[in-house]
Amino acid sequence: MSTAETEVDVRRTPGLVPVTETMRTVEREPGAAPAGPPAAAPPPSRPVAAFWRLLGSELGLTFRRPRNQVMLAVLASVPLLIGIGLRIAAGDEAVGGLIGAVAGNSLMLTFVSFSFLVLLLMPVSVAVVGGDSVAGEAGAGTLRYLLAAPAGRTRLLAVKYLNAVLFAYAVTIVVALSALVTGLVLFPVGPVTLLSGSTVSVAEGLLRILVTVGYVGAGMAALAAIAVALSTFTEVSIGAIAATMVLVIVAQVIRAIPQLDFLAPYLLPTWWTRFDAVLRSPIDLAALGQGLLVFGAYIGLFCSIAWARFTGKDITS
Amino acid sequence: MRRGTFVRWGVPIAAAAVIAGAMGAGPVIAAVSGEPTLPERTAQQLLADAAAATSERDGIPPMSGTVQQTASLGLPALPQTGSASPINLLSGSHEVKLWYGGVNKIRVAMPTQFDETNVIVNGDQVWYWDSGDNTATKVKVKSGTDVGRHQLPTPSPSDMTPQKMAADLLAGAEKDTAVRVTNNAQVAGRAAYQLVLTPKDESSLVQEVRVALDGETYVPLQVQVYAKGSAEPAFQVGFTQVTFTPPAAENFTFTPPAGAKVQEQTLGDDKAAEQHAEHAQETAQGLKTVGEGWTRVAVLPFKPEDLTKARTQQPDGQWNEGADPGALLDNVLKSATPVSGTWGSGKLIKTKLVTALLTDDGRLLVGAVTPEEITKAAGIK
Amino acid sequence: MTVVTHEAGAPSGAAPPSGDPGDAIVTHGLTKRFRGGQVAVDALDLTVPRGSVFGFLGPNGSGKTTTIRMLLGLVAPTAGDYSVLGMPLARALPRVGALVEGPAFYPYLSGEANLLRFDAADPTAAGATARTRVGEALERVGLSAAAGKRFRNYSLGMRQRLAIAAALLGPRELLVLDEPTNGLDPQGTREVRALVKEIAADGTTVFVSSHLLAEVEQMCTHAAIMRTGNLVAQGTIASLNGGLTTRIRVETPDAADAARVLDALGLADVRSAAPEVTAELGGQAPEEINAALVREGVAVRGLAVVRPSLEDVFVGLTGEGFDVDG
Ligand SMILES: Nc1ncnc2c1ncn2[C@@H]1O[C@H](COP(=O)(O)OP(=O)(O)OP(=O)(O)O)[C@@H](O)[C@H]1O
Ligand SMILES: [Mg+2]
Repeated sequence: MSTAETEVDVRRTPGLVPVTETMRTVEREPGAAPAGPPAAAPPPSRPVAAFWRLLGSELGLTFRRPRNQVMLAVLASVPLLIGIGLRIAAGDEAVGGLIGAVAGNSLMLTFVSFSFLVLLLMPVSVAVVGGDSVAGEAGAGTLRYLLAAPAGRTRLLAVKYLNAVLFAYAVTIVVALSALVTGLVLFPVGPVTLLSGSTVSVAEGLLRILVTVGYVGAGMAALAAIAVALSTFTEVSIGAIAATMVLVIVAQVIRAIPQLDFLAPYLLPTWWTRFDAVLRSPIDLAALGQGLLVFGAYIGLFCSIAWARFTGKDITS
Repeated sequence: MRRGTFVRWGVPIAAAAVIAGAMGAGPVIAAVSGEPTLPERTAQQLLADAAAATSERDGIPPMSGTVQQTASLGLPALPQTGSASPINLLSGSHEVKLWYGGVNKIRVAMPTQFDETNVIVNGDQVWYWDSGDNTATKVKVKSGTDVGRHQLPTPSPSDMTPQKMAADLLAGAEKDTAVRVTNNAQVAGRAAYQLVLTPKDESSLVQEVRVALDGETYVPLQVQVYAKGSAEPAFQVGFTQVTFTPPAAENFTFTPPAGAKVQEQTLGDDKAAEQHAEHAQETAQGLKTVGEGWTRVAVLPFKPEDLTKARTQQPDGQWNEGADPGALLDNVLKSATPVSGTWGSGKLIKTKLVTALLTDDGRLLVGAVTPEEITKAAGIK
Repeated sequence: MTVVTHEAGAPSGAAPPSGDPGDAIVTHGLTKRFRGGQVAVDALDLTVPRGSVFGFLGPNGSGKTTTIRMLLGLVAPTAGDYSVLGMPLARALPRVGALVEGPAFYPYLSGEANLLRFDAADPTAAGATARTRVGEALERVGLSAAAGKRFRNYSLGMRQRLAIAAALLGPRELLVLDEPTNGLDPQGTREVRALVKEIAADGTTVFVSSHLLAEVEQMCTHAAIMRTGNLVAQGTIASLNGGLTTRIRVETPDAADAARVLDALGLADVRSAAPEVTAELGGQAPEEINAALVREGVAVRGLAVVRPSLEDVFVGLTGEGFDVDG
């Protein structure tokens, strides 16, 4: 007779423990020690596949969430509104600069849309997803079940950040596509005039839009790092979102004060607008490169802060 | 657990340290001292070498790069001005891109956010392009004038190239200046000689002026002006990035893009320029100087009302908003210290590099000297 | 014994503790002091044998949930160490199903989608079998009918059931259930009890915290009792009850006579408090005592054998007071 059966017996009749047994002071029944390790050891799974599965689940959560869908829709509508507005205003000759250039070329709407959105609306949507990432789960209590699953803290944080980065790129691509389609419908297609006064072909114009998407997306990914880091400090996601936006606005204010000019090169918004480097001839690769370095520095710093905080945090929610 | 906490937070701290280190090493355009990689030279040898190299290849070699100008003169708060205003150059940091293919192949671009102005010189063609108002201006130069050295109607960024600054400063090196040379400077990643000019006069506000010459081509790469008692240059202009290869030809070809306004302008014919010249002449007539060399003080008749008048005289937007001199003056005078002495009384404005005294009897004294020296000069009528 | 580090994702390669490798949970001096000085768990030495159904008892605020959080790697202990299933925590957790302090799910997802989400978080769970396993888990807690319903629209009991289902995704060696019957109807309570027995019958260790002493007494083989962060008793249910003996209680108008008879029969600790007389039953048969009383002419209105209950033990150890711990 196996020990397990004895145990089952005992368990099924808890009231009928022999007196001799009840008098013992040992902490467990002598017969209860199980024989050897259990057979049902989980098979060593492929960690990479499991990582993608969790990321997939995270992406599904993000992109199926109505709130996030609404944000993407709003962002997609802005280039449309700008395009229509410029189309109506196209009669007046007076407009110069980037805005004036849209009337002459459909591709320019993409750059104009970015110049409008990159400073506030895109950061808001990235801050919402990034700020909600950890704090939202903590607030809802689902974080404790994810970690008990066990998702692994470093692994979960990596998935959360990657998800925010992918959302940042989704935001950027949505804006670019909406602007591109609106531009093609409303304005003439043709060679693109750059800020430097020279002209490039439509194909090269599209290539430059692609470079812009890559660059602006990286800038938003840097903001996502801040948002995720702040998200690990609170259980209230709106707090992390608001804190991120406060930082963005403070940076804009600093940029507007001439006495604080020396701080500008260290601020993200300064570099977000530097995508105008693609509109110069030749492309100002030095500016783009330096911007990417700044984004990389922000990502490195804030991801490591998020990691230090999250791996050491007591989950009491 | 405690130890684990320290180890964990060590990671972001290390990340911050790495970033700070990279930041310190990266954009520094100030000459960084290091192991000398260049042979030693006296000032005389250096200037001779430079002159020889210049005449050998007939001027500056083809090159391109980014020039940055930084000023921290310690001026009182300046109002925000349009990006093209020259007043702007007095504070903060500004960048121009330069492509130099030869004496008559020059492109200078001044990029600003979502805008760019370009001056493109190609042979006898000179274009001025402003993306902000979508205007291409074909600049005609009156025959007999040398394009390369002519003053363009806007504050030309080429004023800021180290070449010109270095030439000006070297000309000023006289008996009242101590000159020495260091051979361990690095500018824009290139080994460079540094000509250090130190005023001998104690009352000068200038500590020293450093001119960096490229170790290979002897092209001036950087000019820095240090004020007394300050480790950072009060003013500097220099390359942050430079390559001595001939720039691509398309940099010097300019065709006005479709839809742009195209204007023509002949230099020297400009009415506004004439007015300017007249005004300058008037001013020059009233100007006199006191002192010698580094401590020379300029004295000119001046009434604050003049500037206010000037504003009303030029209603056609000659001055950018906020850069208008009247407003600027009001702003500056607010932070001036009232002073008085045997010479009379007035208002003193002191910056790191320049002291100005506006006397109540309508004189403006300006010099790179201490306040004591300028009040002394005010006594000499 | 090696300290199990707090980081569940990257634990130190902790060797199994020096204690019996067969123990599902072992803690030594496990202490949690929250920021602000609150000592929630104080030097806890707990041993949960494999295969047991272990009741974790204690008044409100006595540190039960905090202990469970530490065992799951959610909260870092201030001092002490612990081991779960005798292996590093990251390796142990996939074999542990947990319900901590009530259900928590994504309100905008269906029950099924919620379970799939938590299954995806487990690096050892195979994505291919996820749907089947989720289906089985829902079946087991009787939620199959509501699988497609949004969690937001679940009733309290349905939520609790879903949380139990989440703990049952995949094969488990240890089930940690923090107040599993909270909010369930009597039917549900019975079902949970049956479920726990069924799971335990498969050899899974069940660690269940509860206030419901009767429930613990019915379900559990072992129990531990906490009070203000301290362990005041642990062992088999029987050994805990063993401190108190079975007594016989006689209800009678003739209390004095009855006491005399019981004394004569050799029963120990006879206490008379009209209209009741009690004594330790010892090894005697109650029916014979009854016969003897009747023979002596004592009017017996009622006769009962009083077995010691866990509640008596609990109240004896934690006091009668109504105040929460902490
Ligand atoms: N995050 C926290 N910060 C400070 N104190 C806490 C925290 N979490 C719990 N405590 C305290 O720790 C003690 C134990 O709490 P715990 O939740 O473990 O009790 P419990 O035994 O689960 O109670 P209940 O039966 O009510 O669920 C309580 O006094 C509680 O106030
Ligand atoms: Mg609890």
